[in-house]
Amino acid sequence: MRTFDHIDVYSIAEACTTLREYQGRARLNAGGSDLLTVLKGDFLADYPEAVINLKTISGMDYIREDGEYLRIGTLTRLTDLVSSPLLKEKYPVLSEAAYTVATPQIRNVATLGGNLCQDTRCWYYRYPRSIGGPVQCLRKGSGPCLAIKGDNRYHAIMGGKKCFAVCPSDMAVALAALDGKVIIVGPEGERRVEVTDFYHPTGNELAKDEVVREIEIPIKRTPTQQSFRKFTLRKPIDFAIVSSATVITVAQGICTDARIVLGAVAPAPVRAKAAEELLIGKPITEETDTAAAEKALVGAKPLSKNEYKIQIAKTLVKQAILGVTD
Amino acid sequence: MRKHQINLTVNSQVYQLEVGTGQGRVNPSDTLSFTLRETLGLTGTKLSCDGGACGGCTVLMDGEAVLSCMLLTIECDGKIITTIEGLKDAKTGELDPLQQSFIDHTAFQCGYCTPGMIMSAKALLNENPAPTEAEVKKALSGNFCRCISHYQVVRAVMDATGKGR
Ligand SMILES: Cc1cc2nc3c(=O)[nH]c(=O)nc-3n(C[C@H](O)[C@H](O)[C@H](O)COP(=O)(O)OP(=O)(O)OC[C@H]3O[C@@H](n4cnc5c(N)ncnc54)[C@H](O)[C@@H]3O)c2cc1C
Ligand code: SF4
Ligand code: FES
Ligand code: FES
Repeated sequence: MRTFDHIDVYSIAEACTTLREYQGRARLNAGGSDLLTVLKGDFLADYPEAVINLKTISGMDYIREDGEYLRIGTLTRLTDLVSSPLLKEKYPVLSEAAYTVATPQIRNVATLGGNLCQDTRCWYYRYPRSIGGPVQCLRKGSGPCLAIKGDNRYHAIMGGKKCFAVCPSDMAVALAALDGKVIIVGPEGERRVEVTDFYHPTGNELAKDEVVREIEIPIKRTPTQQSFRKFTLRKPIDFAIVSSATVITVAQGICTDARIVLGAVAPAPVRAKAAEELLIGKPITEETDTAAAEKALVGAKPLSKNEYKIQIAKTLVKQAILGVTD
Repeated sequence: MRKHQINLTVNSQVYQLEVGTGQGRVNPSDTLSFTLRETLGLTGTKLSCDGGACGGCTVLMDGEAVLSCMLLTIECDGKIITTIEGLKDAKTGELDPLQQSFIDHTAFQCGYCTPGMIMSAKALLNENPAPTEAEVKKALSGNFCRCISHYQVVRAVMDATGKGR
């Protein structure tokens, strides 16, 4: 790894001002499990002058309910999301999703904020300098997207605009199913963004001097049935080929509210709203479930090598919905 | 704030390391695996993928299994690190029962993944001295072996818990 200045910060505000001082030439480091792979690969044009350590900020790792919201601090480790009794009991979709991320050693350092802000895994984008990279592409601001004509087996089947890389974060999918919002701090104060709006076709919502502080989730008044499913080739370590998170409310056998979210199919987690609407007002049966899974994939436009993802996505949605009824 | 010096406790020995370039110092971009192997000469920790994907470089940090290739040493200030060299009894030199069990079960072929396997297993046993086989497999799910030693590894760990099969 090429060297950089290293700065410990003690508050989110200090992180913002330090980012501003470096005018885009500094990167935040939380658990480092994504940032270090980016720096080692050295595939970006702007190798940072400074790395800003967020772990010296105290009190940013918490999971607590305060009346209307469940709040999770940005530095909360995935290990703590997996083992939290509160999440296991009331938000199992979060602990299940966290458990599917990477490996035990990575979950011991990886943070929720870092998981949401991690860089894309597109293999053209990440082609390392040491073996002939970096490769230029649209997301890097120069040239076309190489995945369109190239090997796009893990790329988007919907929602791609110019860049066809998928959102790699598993936590974003689960959070979207809980209507989670990302609380972002910048020089002008705080703002809240829906998890589904946090991702842009070629990056994310954060300006150069903004920092994620917290994830906010509205507490549901009625119990919900939640499930997270992830298809990978190897069980541990692998990123999702497709994932699905569902949060469903059933009263007297009838679905009264539903969130069905697809992951790794688009640049952001995708709410399958047509499928949600189809389920609401109906009992959850094999038939309605199959119909919802079909609806969820209407409009998918696979690239040359990833049509197989559609069938996997339908199956995951089906399993996720049925899984929550048994 | 910029650090000028860090304290690292490795295998019960405290190291005060200056931040900077040159022999014996910690560069801000040094990973913990680099510092352990190249600066402190503790080559028991192995480096394979250098990308978080194999578990070969696993060490304990404050008792938990972490990847030393994915940590900046400068951010480990004040941490307590245990490497494979730190498992034996410091006074008698006797191996940890887990290490002995790996030997008894020949739970390796080339041996390159072994220190990482043992450190992940050690983290599990510290927290849960009597794990089930499923729990052992979960705890070792981030450790990859090219030589297919996994079957013997699981047996060695189970045996070290007295629950061998
Ligand atoms: C082998 C391997 C397997 C993996 N598998 C998975 C997987 O299956 N699923 C998955 O979702 N991920 C996976 N990951 C990706 C990722 O490392 C983890 O998900 C992790 O959660 C990232 O968190 P971190 O704290 O280590 O992030 P860091 O590396 O510290 O940060 C990641 C990025 O986010 C930025 N950032 C961090 N915190 C903030 C903040 N508060 N505000 C603004 N920006 C911030 C950093 O600047 C950096 O660009 C894997 C990584 C590896 C190496
Ligand atoms: S999918 Fe995005 S990141 Fe990958 S080559 Fe195309 S533009 Fe670049
Ligand atoms: S060398 Fe660290 S995980 Fe492979
Ligand atoms: S024994 Fe050779 S890699 Fe595991």
